[in-house]
Amino acid sequence: MSYYFLRRRSLRITTTTFSSFLSKLVGNLSDSPSPTLFSCRHLSHALPFFSSTWLSRDAYSHGLLSPTQARFWASQPAAAEHSTSDGLTIQGILAKNWPILDENDSDWKSHASAIAQSIHLIKRRLQWKKLKVRLDMLSAQLNKEDLWDDPVRAGKINREHGSLLGKMKEVNGLERELLDDIEMIKLAREENDSELELESMKALLNMRVNAKEKELEALLADEQDSRSCYIEVQAGAGGTESMDWASMIMQMYKSWAQRRGYKVTVMEEMPGEIAGIKRATIKVDGEFAFGYAKAEIGVHRLVRISPFDSNKRRHTSFAAVAVIPNLGDESSSVQINESDLRIERFRASGAGGQHVNTTESAVKITHIPTGVTATCQNERSQHQNKASAMAVLQSRLNQIEMARQAQLNAQHTQSLTDITWGSQIRSYVLHPYRMVKDLRTNYEVSDPDSVLEGDLDGFIMSYLSASLDKNEDDA
Amino acid sequence: MKLTLTNHNFSTLLNSSFINLTRPFCSLSLSSSLSSSTSIKPQVPIFLRPPIYSTKLNDLKKWHNWAKNIAFSIGSSFVQSDNGPDSTILCRELKWFIEDVVENHHSLFSQVGDDNEKVKMRADIEELYCLWKQRIEERKPFQYIVGCEHWKDLVLSVQEGVLIPRPETELIVDLVSDVVSKNEGLKRGVWADLGTGSGALAIGIGRVLGDGGKVIGSDLSPVAVAVAGYNVQRYSLQDKIELREGSWLEPLKDMEGKLAGLVSNPPYIPSKEIPVLQAEVGKHEPRVALDGGIDGMDALLHLCDGADLMLKPGGFFAFETNGEKQCRELVDYMKSNKSASLCNLEIFADFAGIQRFVIGFHR
Ligand SMILES: C[S@@+](CC[C@H](N)C(=O)[O-])C[C@H]1O[C@@H](n2cnc3c(N)ncnc32)[C@H](O)[C@@H]1O
Repeated sequence: MSYYFLRRRSLRITTTTFSSFLSKLVGNLSDSPSPTLFSCRHLSHALPFFSSTWLSRDAYSHGLLSPTQARFWASQPAAAEHSTSDGLTIQGILAKNWPILDENDSDWKSHASAIAQSIHLIKRRLQWKKLKVRLDMLSAQLNKEDLWDDPVRAGKINREHGSLLGKMKEVNGLERELLDDIEMIKLAREENDSELELESMKALLNMRVNAKEKELEALLADEQDSRSCYIEVQAGAGGTESMDWASMIMQMYKSWAQRRGYKVTVMEEMPGEIAGIKRATIKVDGEFAFGYAKAEIGVHRLVRISPFDSNKRRHTSFAAVAVIPNLGDESSSVQINESDLRIERFRASGAGGQHVNTTESAVKITHIPTGVTATCQNERSQHQNKASAMAVLQSRLNQIEMARQAQLNAQHTQSLTDITWGSQIRSYVLHPYRMVKDLRTNYEVSDPDSVLEGDLDGFIMSYLSASLDKNEDDA
Repeated sequence: MKLTLTNHNFSTLLNSSFINLTRPFCSLSLSSSLSSSTSIKPQVPIFLRPPIYSTKLNDLKKWHNWAKNIAFSIGSSFVQSDNGPDSTILCRELKWFIEDVVENHHSLFSQVGDDNEKVKMRADIEELYCLWKQRIEERKPFQYIVGCEHWKDLVLSVQEGVLIPRPETELIVDLVSDVVSKNEGLKRGVWADLGTGSGALAIGIGRVLGDGGKVIGSDLSPVAVAVAGYNVQRYSLQDKIELREGSWLEPLKDMEGKLAGLVSNPPYIPSKEIPVLQAEVGKHEPRVALDGGIDGMDALLHLCDGADLMLKPGGFFAFETNGEKQCRELVDYMKSNKSASLCNLEIFADFAGIQRFVIGFHR
């Protein structure tokens, strides 16, 4: 019984936030150029949302809000810092530095401390301060009158705004929930309600597990992370030796992708004369394929006794890896003019036509203005090869465009764009000792076979967390 | 012509020690090529057959290794002898072969999996040995082995006696698609594909025409007409595509001056080049689909007259040729003999950069 009573009490925080939101909204309306027409229509639209406890972030992601409504919601900044009735805040919990015990120990301070740390980490990974700045900037743009003059851009801004706001709401929600639960435990103790205390403790533990999971999710928070991707591998200098290494690397990614349950399609493959591959491209389909695989961009180095050297000498080979997100046919992708394309039959020779029967129908498409090319040869008809090559070309051009834009407005998202063919990221040593070591994180394992069989997640996770967690004061 | 082809097949079948004549598929292919033109039953491509065979994964892997080794052993020897396939291409064909034959082909290549597990297949394992040997030793085209060719976004049934549609020819459909997208009248008119073979062009065009648009496909070869009919049915285009048997314009007498469009990929190889063709083509594809007479222009010149006679005013035509020389000769012929009726002549290159198509309109 007292549980429900308490729930209502703790709602107070929410209500306060809400009324400040409302006053903001009203203030905003009076600024609007044609107040009557505008405000009436939208207020009535917006009202049903008011009756629910809080503006649900789902309203955004599920497209319940129209762009014009979004304009109003957008002006709502992050809520002020929450606190319990006796003034405890998340920062306060962190500062107390309560020891974190095992999950099975029913100690609310330990749970609270663990959750607060998770929240802290999540904020850091989301680059919280930058996220807030970016969100404000997007809100300002959403409020501009001429926004929908360019619907493509408007859609993009609206989408990004929705996704960032969603993330912010989620974290704020975690913070509020933590404080609510603490407040409840305190009250349960005051009122000697052991049943409620147990229940709240359970809620806290649940939250601890949940927050831990969210830490991982926060690693993949970039706009493109959830996408499918293309992985390209190119052999370095050194002939057969490196070509063999390139094909080993490619095999490693194929196995890794299959382990994760992704679908793998070979788009193009240029075999070496004696062994291995000169270069190859695979398509990896599945959620977050790009988010994970982007950790692999760079040059991979192998040291081993060469199987191709009759004198059994030690050789060092290199292979470069590039990863490109697959944006699909989204409206934000670069427009390609048919007249800018040169389409050629790949490896064509002889008279062609009725003279030749071949199952080889690969085409190479060149985007003349940029010189970017794409080839596909795994399909069974020329038409399908052309369609697949077009998709690769589109992704490459999108990638270049993204890089250009990221440079233009120095976006917060870490852009992957310049394919860092120059920088060595990982070393695989098979001789004289056995080890794989990531040069960026120093993460290492002593079993190269398992890595080459696709056990890459350790490397990927440690890189993703290291690259996001390094900026200590970002939160 | 057709009889000699059959005899040739028959004797190869008898001579090849690895073929067990009691195998049902062998007698099937024999009976179909011997039967008379009216009762030709087209063969069902492997990928459309029911998966009624079952084999141990282990046995399938054994076959796969055997087949792969043979493919590798070829190296570039076919390339050197007649510009045939190299082992890379053969290996890719092998992969597609498995895709067509094995119901759940992904299991074959995943490392995990019990070797005693049974896999469901659309052909018997012994047939697989037999077919792959035919591919390598007889140089039988891969498309005849699996009974289909992927062309544009279609999968067309093909069999010995019918030309395997070429990638170059896909472009004719693109050209037609361009033309009809700018002209509603042509989009809803009647088109003809002369020498339709597997029906590739007729079906490709049938799918870009609008409501009311129709295609008449014709061929001299009864096997071609039967296979084209099968393909038309598979794509449920019976209402849009009509097939007629006969020589060039003959079966289209009722259409004089009425056609919105006329396309053809007629035989255009000069007779003397036939004996030195790549084995897959010269030994297996029907000569009647390839041989264009002394300079390869016999059918093409005849078709110019056809365009003049059959097209209505504003009608469009597109012909495939052997290359630059034939394109120029064809355009010259039209300019000097048909300038009163044919206009806007243009030569188009294929993706290999070879001038391949002549297109134009009826005045
Ligand atoms: C090069 S094949 C083209 C087949 C198909 N249109 C394609 O592009 O795949 C030429 C076709 O013309 C047919 N043909 C040969 N002589 C013919 C004739 N006199 N009348 C009608 N068709 C003929 C052949 O049977 C063959 O199917």
